[in-house]
Amino acid sequence: MLGLVLAAGAAIMTAAPVAAALRVVATTTDMAALVAVVGGDLVEVETIVPPATDPEAFEPRPSDLDRVRHASLLVRVGLGYDFWLDALINQVGDKRLMRGGEGYLDASTGLPLLEIRGQSVVNEGGHAHGVANPHYWLDPANAVIVTAGIAEALFRVAPAERNRIFANREHFLAELAARRQRWSAMLAPFAGVKLIAYHNSWPYFARRFRLDVIDFIEPKPGVAPSPAHVAHLIGEGREAKVRAIVHEPYEPEDASRLLAQKLGVPFVRLATSVGSLPQTRDYLALLEFNVATLARALSERSP
Amino acid sequence: MEGALSVLLLPFTVSVAFVLIHAYFGVHVLRRNIVFADLALAQLSALGASVAFANGYAPASPAGFGYALLFTAIGAALLTLSRGVTRFVSREAFVGILYVVATAATILVVDRSPQGAEHVKRILIGSILTVEPADLAKFVALYAAIGLLHWVLRRPLLSVSSESRPEGRSALAVSAWDFVFFLSFGVVVTSSVTTAGVLLVFSFLIVPAVIGAIFSRQLLVVLLVAWSVGILSSAAGLAGSYVLDLPTGAAMVAAFGLSLVIAGLVKALIFTDAGQRYANWRMAACAIAASALVLVLLSSLWLIINPTADQPLAAVFERATGLGPAHFLGERDRDTYESATRDMVRFQGEVDRLNSQEKAARYQGAPLPDDEIRRIASYQQSFSEMTRGEQFVQEVLRGKARSRERWTVGLPAIVVAILGLGLLARSLRRNRST
Repeated sequence: MLGLVLAAGAAIMTAAPVAAALRVVATTTDMAALVAVVGGDLVEVETIVPPATDPEAFEPRPSDLDRVRHASLLVRVGLGYDFWLDALINQVGDKRLMRGGEGYLDASTGLPLLEIRGQSVVNEGGHAHGVANPHYWLDPANAVIVTAGIAEALFRVAPAERNRIFANREHFLAELAARRQRWSAMLAPFAGVKLIAYHNSWPYFARRFRLDVIDFIEPKPGVAPSPAHVAHLIGEGREAKVRAIVHEPYEPEDASRLLAQKLGVPFVRLATSVGSLPQTRDYLALLEFNVATLARALSERSP
Repeated sequence: MEGALSVLLLPFTVSVAFVLIHAYFGVHVLRRNIVFADLALAQLSALGASVAFANGYAPASPAGFGYALLFTAIGAALLTLSRGVTRFVSREAFVGILYVVATAATILVVDRSPQGAEHVKRILIGSILTVEPADLAKFVALYAAIGLLHWVLRRPLLSVSSESRPEGRSALAVSAWDFVFFLSFGVVVTSSVTTAGVLLVFSFLIVPAVIGAIFSRQLLVVLLVAWSVGILSSAAGLAGSYVLDLPTGAAMVAAFGLSLVIAGLVKALIFTDAGQRYANWRMAACAIAASALVLVLLSSLWLIINPTADQPLAAVFERATGLGPAHFLGERDRDTYESATRDMVRFQGEVDRLNSQEKAARYQGAPLPDDEIRRIASYQQSFSEMTRGEQFVQEVLRGKARSRERWTVGLPAIVVAILGLGLLARSLRRNRST
């Protein structure tokens, strides 16, 4: 009996902070992971796109509408990557959550963006990457800017918690700085290494760690590579002395494996987002995994 | 050329194996008049594979194959029952329902498992280009076994396929033979769909068999025609996909479609008795002329009604003759049009230059600082917008040119088209009266 009362008490105690927490809804797991490090236990983060799903091919469902409706803060990747969020926001119709509202954050704001196409989202060749390449979270330096944006947005919706938010972010940045040094050192011997990737997901990662992604297996998402393209990649890969084939977790493997086998180089599966592989539970783990996996694969082959 | 062969040889060999077994089953399927049964069976086996996948088994594992086979057997049993449905509705309705429900169930199952979308995509499109030698060995062994089974059982299997109520066989025996047919069919389709995709498997199955049926009623002739056409179409599709740089599966399906058109023409214009052949040639010529004239007439009318809208025929005409919109503009407008064309190229060149400069700096020389990246980004943005601006200028001027073309080109074309159609109608009428 006493046990029951205690258990009930414990349940209330653990439930209490959740009820008080700010509900933050992020479109992808990567944004959710960065919100989690800044918000700590102040926030309860929910994600719309499940991990290991292509956000550009995502179809929102009724429960997502509910999620958006009850959010204190919405965090999106932006750049046309999670374009379907606009439809959800419009349907909810809450001014606070619309572009410019206090509960809206486009995390791409202020970043040094790569592969810009223009100001408006255009659909070029079936490619929804409208404004710029959207995979900016794969550069750890960009996490500094993105977390600054998140901290500012959290200040807006919870001004009283300023100090805690600030402290959380400082703690994260200290850890990030230490790891970044280590990551750079791990990949430093492979600066300038040539790679072929399945999709164009790696420009930010490549810039930070000085890699050369020379070509892509599937240049247009969803359109299988033609035999001429595969033959071209084999020739190009031999000539450029490509050292590995980089593959995203949610794409078909056959073409990447075929190419890796023809070129005699390792097939390396790297994670593009938090949670897309079991080893990538949070943001730091994501980069840790990618850096370590790539460094291991490249050192196996180095003379 | 060597590159092409090294990439295409294996897919072609696998295609030949597919054609040999699928065209044979296609003949059966056409006789049974259940064209979409393969889609239903393939989708049920995909559902089985998805259930296995959701339970953590790899699609190629024995457990994965077991699930797929189990669901295929269920599908075979349901299709066997469909013989009874024919009393109320056509069998095709039943098959169609089976297909959509199985597809929806697959989506619901994979929705709960990571990488489900990839799985669904693979089933639809397949990846015949990346097939492996081990797969080929598996296919050959499996198809040889099933081919042998069907050779041994050819009499009962053909009779239940060809007749709606086979004489001298009990209902139970008919059902049993039906089940054997559908199960072996399901196993074949299950094996091929993961490699070739639903669309291509359907083409392997139906198109060669249809072409065979156009030319003969004799089973052996039908099969020989179907096999050769299937192999030729596969080769043409693969070659086309290589030369024109197209996705392989879709290019092959298009090649099968094209071969059906060619086969229809060959049958009508060559493989008919002499009198009929002359009439057919004449009809074909008239049909081509009439459709060309109607096309010109409609396009010209469209040009007159709405000159600034998309004008596909005018665009083809401009490209073919080199008479671009600039020829129909005043001197000032022409200069603007031409400078817009030049500027577009120049701005795009600037964007490309900045892009390659930034790309090279990722791994060569000193890395670019963030502010430099931002500066490049804002230049790229401006140049892209300026390119779009020039594009807009071109569109406006093209509209202006077309507004003039509508009287100088559109009106004469209408007159010519109407005269041509009148002449054609008169010659047809005279021909009929003689």
